[in-house]
This record gives sequence, C-alpha cells and structure tokens, in this order.
Amino acid sequence: MPELTSVQSLAELRRQITARRASFKTTITICGGTGCSASGSQPVVEALRRELAGRGLQNTVLLRTTGCHGFCEQGPLMVIDPGGIFYCHVTPDDAAEIVARTVVEGQVVERLLYTDPVSGRKIRTESEIPFYKAQNRVLLSLNRLVDPTSIEDYIAIGGYAALEKVLAGMKPEEVIEQIKASGLRGRGGGGFPTGRKWESCRAAHGSPKYVVCNADEGDPGAYMDRSLLEGNPHSVLEGMIIGAYAIGASHGFIYVRREYPLAVKHARQAVEQAREYGLLGKNILGTGFSFDVEIARGGGAFVCGESTALMASLEGRPGEPRAKDVHTVEAGYRNKPTNLNNVETWANVPHIINRGAQWFAAMGTEGSKGTKIFALTGRVRNTGLVEVPMGTALRTIVFDIGGGPSNGAAIKAVQTGGPSGGCLPAEKFDLPVDFEALDQAGSMVGSGGMVVMDEHTCMVDVARYFLEFLLDESCGKCVPCRLGIDRMLEILNDITAGRGTPQQIELLEDLAQTVAQASLCGLGKTAPNPVLSTLRYFRHEYEAHIRDRKCPAGVCRALISYSIDAAKCTGCGVCAAACPSGAISGAKKQPHTIDAGKCTRCGICRSECRFNAIMVA
Amino acid sequence: MERTITITIDGAKLRVPEGTSVLEAAIRYGICIPHLCHMHGISDIGACRLCVVEHVKNGRSRVTASCTLEARDGMDIRANSPRIRHIRRNIAELLVAEAPNSRAIQDIAVRCGVKNVRYPFRNSNCVLCGKCVRICAEHLHANAIGFAGRGRNRKVVFPFGTRPEFCRLCGMCITHCPMTIPPCDGPMRPGQERLCGKCESQLQINEKFDIVGMCTWCDLGKGFQCGRYAGAR
Repeated sequence: MPELTSVQSLAELRRQITARRASFKTTITICGGTGCSASGSQPVVEALRRELAGRGLQNTVLLRTTGCHGFCEQGPLMVIDPGGIFYCHVTPDDAAEIVARTVVEGQVVERLLYTDPVSGRKIRTESEIPFYKAQNRVLLSLNRLVDPTSIEDYIAIGGYAALEKVLAGMKPEEVIEQIKASGLRGRGGGGFPTGRKWESCRAAHGSPKYVVCNADEGDPGAYMDRSLLEGNPHSVLEGMIIGAYAIGASHGFIYVRREYPLAVKHARQAVEQAREYGLLGKNILGTGFSFDVEIARGGGAFVCGESTALMASLEGRPGEPRAKDVHTVEAGYRNKPTNLNNVETWANVPHIINRGAQWFAAMGTEGSKGTKIFALTGRVRNTGLVEVPMGTALRTIVFDIGGGPSNGAAIKAVQTGGPSGGCLPAEKFDLPVDFEALDQAGSMVGSGGMVVMDEHTCMVDVARYFLEFLLDESCGKCVPCRLGIDRMLEILNDITAGRGTPQQIELLEDLAQTVAQASLCGLGKTAPNPVLSTLRYFRHEYEAHIRDRKCPAGVCRALISYSIDAAKCTGCGVCAAACPSGAISGAKKQPHTIDAGKCTRCGICRSECRFNAIMVA
Repeated sequence: MERTITITIDGAKLRVPEGTSVLEAAIRYGICIPHLCHMHGISDIGACRLCVVEHVKNGRSRVTASCTLEARDGMDIRANSPRIRHIRRNIAELLVAEAPNSRAIQDIAVRCGVKNVRYPFRNSNCVLCGKCVRICAEHLHANAIGFAGRGRNRKVVFPFGTRPEFCRLCGMCITHCPMTIPPCDGPMRPGQERLCGKCESQLQINEKFDIVGMCTWCDLGKGFQCGRYAGAR
C-alpha cells in the first residue's frame, strides 16, 4: 500500500476500499474480544471459514472477527448482516447449520437466538434486545463494524475522516474550541474538562510536548478501556493524533497494561499500520505535521493509572505518585508538558470533530455531556458493557438494561466507580449518573465500573474487600494511605469477625476523613469512599454486626450459623455428602441436622440444596 | 539579585526567596509545622504528610503537604487551623501506633497533641520516611539503598539484598534515621508499647499563651530533627 501523501488521497482510498468490497453480499461478524475468545469464539471462526470455503462462498460472504460487542455474558456472539440476525452461545458445531440455513437460505436458526430472561421470548435481531435497545452506543457500536487488525475496515466506515477534516483546514485553536464547546470531560474518573486540559497544555512552556493515552485500567470488574483498545484501536489513535495536532505535541505514548495482551497486540498493529499508511510519522498526509506513537506496557500496578505515577513509570522509575501542585500539563513526562487522557476520552474526539460539538453537547446533563461506557456486573441478569448518555438514571441501567436481579433476591445497592467509588442504596436509584450527582451522593463515576449487589451481599464485607484491594495496590509512599488503609481494614476485620465495638465506627469515620484529606494522590484520597459511603447508607448493617453480633446478609462467617428447615428438608442427603467437614447428619428421608461445632460455615450445603432448606441466621 | 516573594501563613506575611517551599518558609520565620520526612537541603517527597497545611485559593481551601508546595507570590496558607491540627493529630497517632519505639515519633505524637492511641500498637522498626534513601542518593551520590515492594511490603533495602561495594559505610543513613534513638525510658519490648507523653510540659509553654503555631525552640523539635535546628547550625 503506498503511503498517503495528501488529505485528498485518504478520501480516494476510502472510495477504493468501498468499491472493492461491493462483491460481499453477506457479512458474518463474530466477536473476538477477550470475553468471547474465552468462551471459545476462535474455533467457531475456523469452523465457519472451512464451511464457507467448502461451499465456495468465501468471495461473497465476509467473515469478520471483531472486538467486544459488550454483551460478553452471552458469548460467543455472532451477528449476520444484512438483517442484523443475532446469535449467542455459538459453538463450532453450529457452523454448518448457520451457513446452510441463514447465509444461503436466509432462514433463522431459532435455537441460537437470544431468549429475553424477563419476557421469555426469542429475539431475532440485535437492535430488539432490551440490553442493547436502552443504550446509546456511540463508541461501542463501531466495535462490531471493524476488524481491529485492519486499518482498511476502519477507513471504510469513515475512520480518519475527522483527522482529514482537522488537517484540511482547522487551526489547532479551532480544534480546542470544538472540544471545549462539546463539554467533553475526562473519562478516566477525574472528569476534568478535556478542552481546558488541552488548552493549558498548549499554553504551557517547554518542548517537546507529549500526549499519553492512559490504558492502565486496573479496577476489578471494569474493562471498557480494554474493549475499546482491543476492538477499535484506530479510533483511539485518531483521537490522539488530533489531540497532538491541537496541543502541538510531537510524540505520544499508549500506556497499556501488560495483562491485556490482546489490547497490546492490536494497539501495536494499529500503530504500525497507521505508520505504513502515512497517518503517523513525519509529515502526516503531506501537511507538515509530524507525530508518532509508542506503546508502553505497564506492569499491572493499579496506582500507575494515576497520572504522575504513570509518567514516572514511563520514564522507567518506580510507579509512585508525586505531589501534584504543579500539574502534568506543565511538567509531566521528563518534566515536559504532557497531556494525559483516558482511552475513552480519546475515542470520543473523532466523533466530536465529525459530528460537531453541538451534537455531543446535546447528549447528557448540564455539567456532563456525551455518553459513558459502564461495565455492568454483579447480581443482574444481563452483564456486560453498557453505553448510555450521561444522566441516565441508575434504575434504567440496572433494571432496563441489566434486566433486574439475577436470582430473585431484591437488589440492595450499586457500587459505582471501581474500588475507590462508593455504594449507592436502592433508594438512590433515581439519581442521574453524572459526575456531580454521583459525587454529591458520596460515590463517583470513576472509570465506570458498576457492581450490582442484592440482599445476600454484606456491605461491611464489601467495604472490607475493596480496602483489601486498595491496601495491596497502595504504593506505600505516604503515611495516611499506607497506615490509614491498613488500620481501617484492621477495624473492618474486627467488625466482621464479631470483635467490633461501637467506638470503632466513630474511629473508622474519623480516620476515613483524615485519609481522604491528607493522602498524597488520588488513590489514597478516594480510598475511604467504600467505607464512608457504606457508613452513610448502611450504618444499620455495621450496627447489627457490632451490637447484635449478626450479619444481616448472612455473609460474615463468624456471625452466622447454618441450620436446616425440617419442614423443607426431604432427607435426600446431598448436603451431607457435600459437606467437607462432616457436620451434617441424619437418617435417610428424615430431616437432617447441622452440628454447629463442626460446621465451618462454608455455605456449600446451601448451594447444593435443591429444596431451599438450609437457613442462615 | 535574588527575587523574593511574599506569602501569608496564618495571617503573618513572610518574604522568602523565590523557589522556597512553604515548609521552609515557615521554618525560617519560626512558624511551627511539625514534619518528619523533610530534611534541610534534600529534596522533599511528601511522604509523612505531617506538614499538611490548608492552601486557600479563590475562597476554597485545599489540604496539601507544605514541603512539596512551592511558595508563590500572594499565597494564603493556614498552617494551624483546627482542621489541620485534627488531621495532623490523626496522622501522628497512626505513626506512633505503628512505631512507638522511637523518641522522634513519640515527640511528634506529643507535639501533634496525641493524648491516647485508639489502635493496637505494633512495633515496626521503620516508618519509611525515606531520609536514609535520599541522603544516600542526593548528598553522598551513592544510591546504596532504595525502596522495594509496594504497600505494606514496602521496605528500605540494599539492591538485591546485599550490601553493594559502592556503599562506603559512612553511616549517614543511620545518623538521620528517626528510629535510632529509643524513647527516654528505654526501648519498649513487644507488648509494652505505650504513648510516652512525658514531654507534655514542652507543649505548655506554647499552649498557655495560645501561640500554638510559634516556634519556642522546644526540645520536642530536637527529638524529631526539626528543620529549624538544622538551619540554625
């Protein structure tokens, strides 16, 4: 492929690619993201390829392996166009039937269709599925349309058109004005206005300037950055090139976790392809603007997602934050002005340039514009990646998109914003999800993790779990974070083990405030959020643990006891056979009993019992 | 000629050379801001967070460490507000509960007003202030010790665990370590840790006249190697 040397040649290339692809009548799209790969999408691709070749259809049917579609729980996913027929849980054995029935005859294979768990009916196309229907997928919808390893796919759907527009006649200041007018705010969690960040980085003294893409996504349960970088790396790259042009940067980095091998691979391929096509490197599209990107792999420290720690790590020093009284836009990587944005932020940039700031600003709330991707997990029927306009009510996300509770138990809370976010109770589900509203409610948008919890989740135990994670991931540099989290965890361990005292709740609150105010970096400053938010909304659970020595959710082992409901027990003996400590005894077909002395409260009997006869109190 | 700037700490106007940190400025003028990891003439890392102050800007106050905060013209700093004293007290309490076996830490606890410790005591040998690491790297250019590990596994070690040749055994790391001098009553054995608190009389001079923020050259400062003593020498 010859290098593109002018802005016009890119548009010409797009026409050529589209013309070349006119012969394909049908497109089979299979998700090859990490989630679907884990559930076995690769063998499906190979089976389909064999099947198509066997029937001589390889020139009329386009088989495309794409990035994540978002509905990972139902993987491997497949969409057949035209028609948008949606199949889930596809196996290699289905390949022959899919080609024979759907591709050739245009019929639908009923058994592969998705069944709506709420209504119980089969759904034919992707757009009718409630999980997708309530979303507004600006970024994620592109994942389905491109093969992440092919720059031509991206160009064919209009990729790099925004770069074209920018280089063809926009001044850097105009680009920044557009971004500012759109109201885009940082998607990594801080929510700092992106346009203002670019502006101050452009105005900062020093050269060279750098732009960095933060793909060091460390939150347990959040994976939108991975899916974007894996599924559509060129959109991130395009955003970065536009940003670099606006800021006046000549060099960029994508800092991505080593634990995301597919994202690393796809990002690296994307950079190489963009270089080949003359979209990166010296004299981009013949405009005289030069910019290149390097891939830097992070070692997997959560704290390296913090801007100063990330830049220390980029420089090859230990990933520890420094004081941020001087911002990184003035002195970041190698003490030069550095503009750091999250993957999702960069991916939004081409859309804003293409469709205009007004279009973007029309979505969302007063202070938070556009859409945001959330990783919906926990006790809901539909889990996966969810992209909704800012300001969507929590209730919509949990009940309409998530499909409500997965096992009939009432939903109690949603934990938003990853480990350093907060838990919001069901009474707060009408809150619009935007930066301000969640902040005021004691949580945060954060990177966009959303863990749904039902009444079988103990909130004290949840706070304890997140603190354990944060203590492990704290760099240990400053005292409030290192010792403060340690002591908070010590207190929570006491409470969940039944050794808690009423004074400890006050101490916990006092200490949490100190850690939040005095810590060096964002990790420590937000670390007490799980404790503070659960204390604010679920104080009664803490009190029950301390005063009544009971765990209302039946989770904390030291505070619960198992017993068998004689009325429900059929004496089948399954529980007795499963019990690892031999604590269950009873005659056949007679109600069994649990010896509390031997019982280790592991809960295996409860999950094994088919008659709901095991009670926890 | 050296350019000077003016900042306000607790209402007092201070003129200091450009590039001075807020903590250095305070020490120079005798405004007491307790500190542990700060050393005169060595770069600051903001690890102990004892020197936190309120930086008031556009009517909003932000809590930040004064050692890493460069003084800028017209800055408004509150170094001894009730909020700051409360945070400082809590941090000192965390420190003394972690490592009570040191005169420096006990003195800091007294200076910051810790009256009782609400956590079970531990008996650590190191509070990770990093004085040894920085003096070795910046003053002696040896880099013979450094930090390893993360979070609660963080510790000061030789590279790969053995003493390298370029360690000159100069002992500067030990000289500056706040953990080398035991409390006045002698070392505390495991299980006997307590808050010493005998030097509270040092504090009374200050508090009687309600001038908590003013340096009185108290002996507590000697204990925790207050920067004012280092500057006076």
